[in-house]
Amino acid sequence: MTHSQKNSNGRGNPRSEIAIELEGIDRSFGATRALQGIDLKVRRGSVHALVGENGAGKSTCLGVIAGRVAQDRGDVRVFGEPLDHNNPRRARAAGVVSVYQELTIVPEMTAEQNVFLGQVAARGGVTQDRAMRNRYRSLCRELEVSCHLDVKAGHLSVAEQQLLEIMRALLSDPRIILLDEPTASLAPHEREVLLRLMGTLSRSGITIVFVSHNLDEVLEVSDRVTVFRSGVIATEADRGEITKDQSVEAMLGRALEARPEPRRFEPSGAERLRVQNLNVPGAVSDISFDLFPGEILGIGGLVGSGRTSILRALAGVSPNASGQIWIDGKERRWPKTPRNGRRLGIALLPEDRKTEGLVGPLSAAENIILSDLSGSAHSGVIFQRQIIESSTKAAQGFGIDTSRLSQPANNLSGGNQQKLLLARWAHSRPSILLADEPTRGIDVGAKQEILTHLQRLADEGMAIVIVSSELEEIVAASNRILVLSEGRLVGTLENTSGGVDEHEILKHIFQTQTGGS
Amino acid sequence: MTESASEALTSPAAPGPPEVKRRSWTKTARGLTETYGILWVTLLGLVAASLISDQFLTWANIQNVLSQNAPLGLVALGMTFVMIGGGFDLSSGAIVGASTVVAAELANHQSLGVAIAGTIIGGAIAGGINGTLVTRLRINPFVATLATSSIFTGAALLYTKSLTVVVTNPNFGVIGNGTIFGVRTSIVMLVALFVIFAFILSKSIYGRALYAAGGNEQAARLSGMRVDLLRASTYVLVGAGAGAAGLIYASLLNTGDPSNGAAITLDAITVVILGGTSLFGGAGAVWRTAAGLVLLATITNVFDLLAIESAWQQVTKGVLLITAVGLDLLTRRNAS
Repeated sequence: MTHSQKNSNGRGNPRSEIAIELEGIDRSFGATRALQGIDLKVRRGSVHALVGENGAGKSTCLGVIAGRVAQDRGDVRVFGEPLDHNNPRRARAAGVVSVYQELTIVPEMTAEQNVFLGQVAARGGVTQDRAMRNRYRSLCRELEVSCHLDVKAGHLSVAEQQLLEIMRALLSDPRIILLDEPTASLAPHEREVLLRLMGTLSRSGITIVFVSHNLDEVLEVSDRVTVFRSGVIATEADRGEITKDQSVEAMLGRALEARPEPRRFEPSGAERLRVQNLNVPGAVSDISFDLFPGEILGIGGLVGSGRTSILRALAGVSPNASGQIWIDGKERRWPKTPRNGRRLGIALLPEDRKTEGLVGPLSAAENIILSDLSGSAHSGVIFQRQIIESSTKAAQGFGIDTSRLSQPANNLSGGNQQKLLLARWAHSRPSILLADEPTRGIDVGAKQEILTHLQRLADEGMAIVIVSSELEEIVAASNRILVLSEGRLVGTLENTSGGVDEHEILKHIFQTQTGGS
Repeated sequence: MTESASEALTSPAAPGPPEVKRRSWTKTARGLTETYGILWVTLLGLVAASLISDQFLTWANIQNVLSQNAPLGLVALGMTFVMIGGGFDLSSGAIVGASTVVAAELANHQSLGVAIAGTIIGGAIAGGINGTLVTRLRINPFVATLATSSIFTGAALLYTKSLTVVVTNPNFGVIGNGTIFGVRTSIVMLVALFVIFAFILSKSIYGRALYAAGGNEQAARLSGMRVDLLRASTYVLVGAGAGAAGLIYASLLNTGDPSNGAAITLDAITVVILGGTSLFGGAGAVWRTAAGLVLLATITNVFDLLAIESAWQQVTKGVLLITAVGLDLLTRRNAS
């Protein structure tokens, strides 16, 4: 890294051993006390992880450091220099940059333009295009990622967009980088790249504070871990002083139930779904597989291997998909619209809950019955009582707090939002459910719950396809695993008795890879 | 922003399951000001108006105000649907103007019934063109309706050769000036349609689906809804409303004139936003538009009664709009 330590105005004392110091930070949102008396010290050049369940206060804490969230009480010091409340510019001047969970990519601009967004290199008001391109290329080399100079950012995957975001953060010569869930949407090898990069950055003197749900990576890369629970610090420990189980216990305030035995499943009866020669131009080719009632089929593969494309093609979201499809033994026309897909009994639990799943301003109850409005209606007239009855019934099975059903879906936590979407499909009963990253961005406690709910739906006869970046999860939940690499099916692993492990999937993927992308 | 949903869910009329906790008093009070703020403001306006002018609360004046604003109300009603569905319509005023010509021509050459039906259907067809442009060709609603606005007015002017069409049918005045049980026809029409469409929006499958389509197009599509059809239908509705508005104008003024009702577009949008229906779709209600309409009509009327220069009305309208939207943003920011 080309990191020079400046001691310009307002950047505090660079020799201070403590990069960030929080003292007695309180912050409430309405009646919710998000942070209560937080004292936190982050050592210079360390990788410091903040973990905790959703709503435990870790992201708020990150926001306070970034000057994005104003604390009600308490002080923030960066390299000994006190920061004003709620002043992102001031924090930035002190060398603090953030990469948010919600990406701030402008889809219509090129990858390079996105990286230089708001900090265009210019001399005398004229942009220095060549300098920017060179800087961009060298950043790509440092991060070991492929260079999409002129590709529109909207065409890149979420993982690639996030890398752009990190590159943008690096441009401003930061001393402290705050990362909110940096690896949530990355594939294993991309995750490796990022984690290694965090190490490199910290060795060059940059302090890194990150929030993550993935405890394995937290314990692997961080020098210190702070565990939050309901707005207070539950425990803190240096590298090697805390185990995964101990941190989970600290997060939940109780021990996590043991992972259930892998689900046993013997295909019986006729196949629910058969797909032959599915092609989606530019994404997958020649995919064939079948699926039985009550079966959970996992699709493993790297980001960009076409996992999501298969699900979306089946759900009728990709109009240019082609292939043959049989449902309950009857050949049907390939669904070209989501409505067609729904008619065939296929439902998609989309990867992006916010933009494709929930209607945020509508109540949780209405979101549950959304795909089956006529179920709560008589001759076209909807009865409020029916909405409440059906949604309450559906919600109870998923442990959703029914007193919150009248609230807008936007106000619920990520875990509850996902349960809401599951409840939607439990309510309208598709025969085939396609779950795209069902546990993405959900904390450990709720993750297992989501998987258990999916298994219950399968037990009730639904045929389910799961795509997940977390191979561990695929292995734990599915009865059979399709392995994808570069848009092709490279293996099918029987997992009826839970014999498959993650490495086997990776082996299949990398054996067939035709070199880096 | 979610009043339609949450209000209905927590209203005493809907017996909730026992799990639904009772809201505390302070919360209820805050909810009342946040959700029903526009009602309080409108009520305040009415009280103030009746104090300022003793003519305001006379039956003759109320009838006058309502019938004057009936065309605006009909367009605003349709606009409510368009905006909840996530769209926008700049061409309503042009459809009103063109409809006055259609109404006048049909009244002169056909029966009264044909004139009424034909004008409303004509407006609906114009709206259908808008809907097709927006949902099929995926042209931005702003651009599409800006263009059709120009086309509708231009076509009507070409037809009339830039003259006005005088209505010779003596029965035609009935629409604007006739009465049913002592109440003017246009008022009966306005109130009836508001009630019917309030029901459709809040209680029908169509209405609920429209909220979903406007609130999150992708999610609605993945839930199996025909989002394009839903949104196109809202343009047909506002078109029909504009047709009816043109009919009333033509009857009141006994002429068809393409330039009549040009101002109605922006007034209708003002009324809808004043009521608190979201510019971004997915939230709003018919009663909100009704409240916005009453508020705007009251203010206009008071200015008329006090004989204040009409330029002041325009200034007030603008100030009101900014205040309404500003207050809405403030309460929302404090809530989050």
